[in-house]
Amino acid sequence: MNKSNLAAQMFSAILLTVSSLQAQENSVLTGIKWNGYIQTDNRMQIDNNNSFSWQEYRLDLKAEVNPVEKAHFYSEIWLRSFQFPSVQNTTDLQDKDNTSPLGLDLREAYFDIYGFIDDDLDLRIGRQRIAWGKGDRLNPTDNLNADELEDIWDFGRHLGSDGITAKYYMSDFTLSGVYIPIFNPALLPAGQLASAMSSAMDLPGELSVGSSVESIQLPDNNFKDGVTAGMKLSNQIFNFDYSLSYVYGRDDFPALEGAIFKATSDPNIIGIETRLIYPRIQVAGVDFAGSVTDIGLWGEAGVFFPDKVKSTLDMSELGMGVQESVSVDNEPYIKYVIGADYTFKNGIYINGQYLHGFIHERGSDNLENYLMFGIEKKIMNDKIKIIPVSGGIEIKDFDDIKNNYGYVFAPEFYYYPVENTEIMLSIRIVDGKDTTMFGRIKNTDELCLKFNYSF
Amino acid sequence: MKKVMLLLLTGMFLFWNNVQAQEPGLTAVKILQGVDDVTNAPKDQNMSIKITLIDKDNKEELRELVMMQKGYDKRLAKFISPASQKGIAFLSLPEDVMYLYLPAFKKTRRIASHVKNTKFAGTDFTYEDMEAKMYSEKWIPELIKKDDKLYTLQLTPKKDVKTDYSKMIMEVRTDNFYPVKIAHFDKGNTLVKVMIREQIEKENGYWISKNYQMEDLKGKHKTKMMIQDVKFDSGLTDETFTERYLTR
Repeated sequence: MNKSNLAAQMFSAILLTVSSLQAQENSVLTGIKWNGYIQTDNRMQIDNNNSFSWQEYRLDLKAEVNPVEKAHFYSEIWLRSFQFPSVQNTTDLQDKDNTSPLGLDLREAYFDIYGFIDDDLDLRIGRQRIAWGKGDRLNPTDNLNADELEDIWDFGRHLGSDGITAKYYMSDFTLSGVYIPIFNPALLPAGQLASAMSSAMDLPGELSVGSSVESIQLPDNNFKDGVTAGMKLSNQIFNFDYSLSYVYGRDDFPALEGAIFKATSDPNIIGIETRLIYPRIQVAGVDFAGSVTDIGLWGEAGVFFPDKVKSTLDMSELGMGVQESVSVDNEPYIKYVIGADYTFKNGIYINGQYLHGFIHERGSDNLENYLMFGIEKKIMNDKIKIIPVSGGIEIKDFDDIKNNYGYVFAPEFYYYPVENTEIMLSIRIVDGKDTTMFGRIKNTDELCLKFNYSF
Repeated sequence: MKKVMLLLLTGMFLFWNNVQAQEPGLTAVKILQGVDDVTNAPKDQNMSIKITLIDKDNKEELRELVMMQKGYDKRLAKFISPASQKGIAFLSLPEDVMYLYLPAFKKTRRIASHVKNTKFAGTDFTYEDMEAKMYSEKWIPELIKKDDKLYTLQLTPKKDVKTDYSKMIMEVRTDNFYPVKIAHFDKGNTLVKVMIREQIEKENGYWISKNYQMEDLKGKHKTKMMIQDVKFDSGLTDETFTERYLTR
């Protein structure tokens, strides 16, 4: 049975099971509430013969029920037709995964118990999104769930994690504790956009890579190696909410542990075998949000304490011996974001964030600087929302801005023709120097059209 | 003689009663306190509200809201529909503290003061309009007109009160101090919005308007709120009005 059939059948089974249970009177599921949305997302490259670069048809289904007053169940599922048919030969035509790719994604499924043991203790068990941090979609303290970078323009998206969250409410303080037994790696961007988050390896002389083989070592699924855990203490002081947090986990981006360089028949072409691991990392965080005069202010910082990862570069076949280097240094580094927003009397809303260290950046020497911004205005009784200015500027080196800048500019237009319906049209222009993240994907300017209907 | 005495006593009682409600010396401050007392009389309120948005072409959109209030300074509102706004919740606490829960982001956000004068979820009510409040704590009243049925108060903001309104003109029923109309003026002293409260009834001993409307005169847009169901004094606790409950 292929994956798409399996996904569709699983989805049907879930629907049938829930429907049949729902039909049973006096069942706890008679109180189940369903809602969700359907969303289409199509993107076309402006260069490159107007190729379609993204196609996603997503059915989001949420179900929740309170079987008793102090319990709550919630789940969210995506059924997606994602990207394009991929057919190489006639055999592929017999596989629906290739002709019309379909996927099922369990985003969240958890059970809440309110007042567990103590009236002030709430427990959440199951797959869940634990969104820490006060920043606007860019959160250095949001490190419990793995990053989901499938769509790099959807900043801040994370995968759900299977675990337990406990929240204890003490007067004005809230203490949260999280335990996630199994490590989940980040989902990385695919295709051309992958180059945004990786830089080319420098090879000596005229050498170039002919073939490469990667092996990634996930941590063992045991109590010691797989665990991710965190604690957070939240409170309010004056006009500000703040939190202190700590996470003991693993970097969800792999780091190089070793590489073997292989000689080929062509002296200028080599093969590489690489081994990648997910190093331990600890993050101490602080965040705040509030307002000064009428201006909204927020900020957060994460101090990252990575374990050192030494990598062995075996170049003996090239006659260069075995070299040792450090792919992850154990020097702490700080990522931070500070932002502000304001709404003018005429309804124009502005939002700006300064970010030091993007999601994928590691080590104090590799953290770049970003200024993200947006201006929006709703008109015609909120039927139309215009975001004429939206995007970000990246500066890799303030001492040489001219050769180290990148930018993305993405104005958006939203139209709400009828209730629960949103149509979004936007254009995204990306440019910059090759040294920058935006510069590495400068040929991916797109026109985007999204349709969303909630039910 | 007894009859005369009885008539005299009855007359005196009626006169006194009339003076109570329409006392010439009743100050604007006392009238506004009366407004606060009558509108916040229940210990707590738990309401289901149907909201109708009406544009200038009379096209309607519907929303449903559950709203809970404790005393005069704690209020929690949660959208039940439409689907695009389901789960969005708003918490108003004393000292101008407000929170918004956005289920799509799984985050609660403290509302900065610049947001308080923006529309609440597409309605003609702003976050400021939606907050639980005592008018007498924030506004200085002046009695500008009175007749048999209505007191008319002009309210101007007290010093250090943050509001987008330069003044409000409030019409208050003389018999029960219930406000029936509030005209809102912007900083340029232009009349921008009018709130009308209708279907004022006594339920379980408390006066309540079951049908009220805010009209945006500039945008030619109206929001009607109809109370479908209301429970008073059901024992809501302070814990209901916390971030913990906002996200449930």
